[in-house]
Amino acid sequence: MSIEPFNRLVKLAARAFYDDITTKGDNQPKTGRSDNRGIAVVVLDALTRRQWVREEDLAKELKLHSKQLRRTLRFFEEEKLVTRDHRKETAKAAKMHNAAVANTTDGHRTKEGDDKIKMHTHSYCCLDYAQIYDVVRYRLHRMRKKLKDELEDKNTVQEYICPNCGRRYNALDALRLMSLVDEYFHCENCDGELVAESDKLAAQEGGDGDDNARRRRREKLKDMLQKMEVQLKPLMAQLSRVKDLPVPEFGSLQEWQIHAGAAGRAANGDSSSNDPSRSSQGYGATPMPFLGETKVEVSFSGVEGKEDLKSETASTGLKVLPPWMIKQGMNLTKEQRGEVKQGSKMDDSFAAAESSDDKKISIGNDDKIKDEYVKAYYAALLQKQREAEESAKKQQELLQTSISNGFSKSSSDRQVGMKSKREEDDEPDDDVEWEEAPIGGNTSEGFKVNDLNAEAPASGEDDDDDIDWEEG
Amino acid sequence: MFFHIVLERNMQLHPRFFGRNLRENIVSKLMKDVEGTCSGRHGFVVAITGIENIGKGLIRDGTGFVTFPVKYQCVVFRPFKGEILEAVVTMVNKMGFFAEAGPVQIFVSNHLIPDDMEFQTGDMPNYTTSDGSVKIQKDSEVRLKIIGTRVDATEIFCIGTIKDDFLGVINDPANA
Repeated sequence: MSIEPFNRLVKLAARAFYDDITTKGDNQPKTGRSDNRGIAVVVLDALTRRQWVREEDLAKELKLHSKQLRRTLRFFEEEKLVTRDHRKETAKAAKMHNAAVANTTDGHRTKEGDDKIKMHTHSYCCLDYAQIYDVVRYRLHRMRKKLKDELEDKNTVQEYICPNCGRRYNALDALRLMSLVDEYFHCENCDGELVAESDKLAAQEGGDGDDNARRRRREKLKDMLQKMEVQLKPLMAQLSRVKDLPVPEFGSLQEWQIHAGAAGRAANGDSSSNDPSRSSQGYGATPMPFLGETKVEVSFSGVEGKEDLKSETASTGLKVLPPWMIKQGMNLTKEQRGEVKQGSKMDDSFAAAESSDDKKISIGNDDKIKDEYVKAYYAALLQKQREAEESAKKQQELLQTSISNGFSKSSSDRQVGMKSKREEDDEPDDDVEWEEAPIGGNTSEGFKVNDLNAEAPASGEDDDDDIDWEEG
Repeated sequence: MFFHIVLERNMQLHPRFFGRNLRENIVSKLMKDVEGTCSGRHGFVVAITGIENIGKGLIRDGTGFVTFPVKYQCVVFRPFKGEILEAVVTMVNKMGFFAEAGPVQIFVSNHLIPDDMEFQTGDMPNYTTSDGSVKIQKDSEVRLKIIGTRVDATEIFCIGTIKDDFLGVINDPANA
């Protein structure tokens, strides 16, 4: 935040526009002593070296009477160059301001006497750079516009002269002067054709001196405009220089005090009882201490839930096929088979469910486990019946191995299953690539449209030709 | 600019209107008399929106006519210097053009038409820019600024300009 270009702008504007401003009333005699022209410039310059400043302090430093200063400042407030703030405050608050000032300007403040103040209304003032920039620009714009308007006779009422009898009319008479026979204005007296006054003829016939005065006035205006452009050139240059710079903002008095205080505290690292940010809690002028920017975080629980749901559906996407649907030669995962071999014992299936990392596959989803168990049980029963001939011991071993295999396999299969799912997800991408071929086909249509466009102007030209022909 | 104001008027009423419908008769006569008139002070009376009150009638000696003081609310239209209006062009000639914004006649002299617009004669006289993109002719709609008013007791006449930013043709009937 570079403040220097803006300060330069303020100084230039002060010298350009407020150099001979006197804040005295018109009725007071203007003697040499009471002539306070130039004070405006001094005050503005002083303000460029400060931020928020108490008006009393400013008066003291400028060695001005506070009344005189206040009058000047009020004038600047009306001119929108300065923002002011008034508030009732105690000595403590005043001290707080002093602390803030001490932090921004390295100047040493006089603090004696502050403690005696009970409750006084203090006025503070500060330059409003953003507004100054706009005000100066607007002022220049108005000046230029006014001069140009006058130069171009923009808002003047046109006058007409009758060359025969010399009678004058103006545009407000236009309705009466209209004739039915032609499109000129006619004199009411002699029915002569009127001519606009600025025309050459009128200048010769009509009042010559009047026209001279008019011409002189125009010269003067033009001169003035030129002078303005030359004399205000530095100001305009400064304006354009400042245009893209960030405008220094001090915020309102309270914000500024707290910021400045905080900055000072950060720099000094001290936390005395005079600490502004602390005492800010105590004094009544600020309704709320500056708490930093409020941040609101919104967590959409619904979205998360959805995600969970999605992943769950993804993981349970492969539904367990009922046994009667399973046929020879079907390419099924273990899950789809309902993990037939898993858990001939209830405990095992539980352990399997718990040991698997995938929590989404319902830990404690009793129904499912029961179903699985029942299926497994039936399957096992079937197997048992088939393998009835085999010895019990052998059977036992077989089962044991199959179970352990089932575990490792099922877990790996699960992974594979997920992957295959993803591959399925990838497939649509392929489809998109596939669809690009028809898009290529579409481009030819695009060319066609272009062709149509190319034809359109030609037809437009034909129309033009027609019009020409008609006119011919 | 439009205003909603309360005006007062003494209504003379013929004795034949006396009866049950006295009030209605007064109001209808008031509307007939007042709407569309122009007073220098208040401008054109556009419409009567309501009757505030009707005072006690006073019988005139000799005639039998009765005078009722009537207070009524009405909408008036009064043009002001510096006001921006939208108007319809009614006539174009070498000296400029005339336009109407409701009841108000406005004259725009050729000095107050932008310099790049040239007068073209013909059976449809018009002001046209050199590239022909903008054309002011009869029935064009223009936005103009009033720079002078002449207020007579019964008439208001204005002169306007279109030589300023954002003024000029807003709807061209030829292109519509």
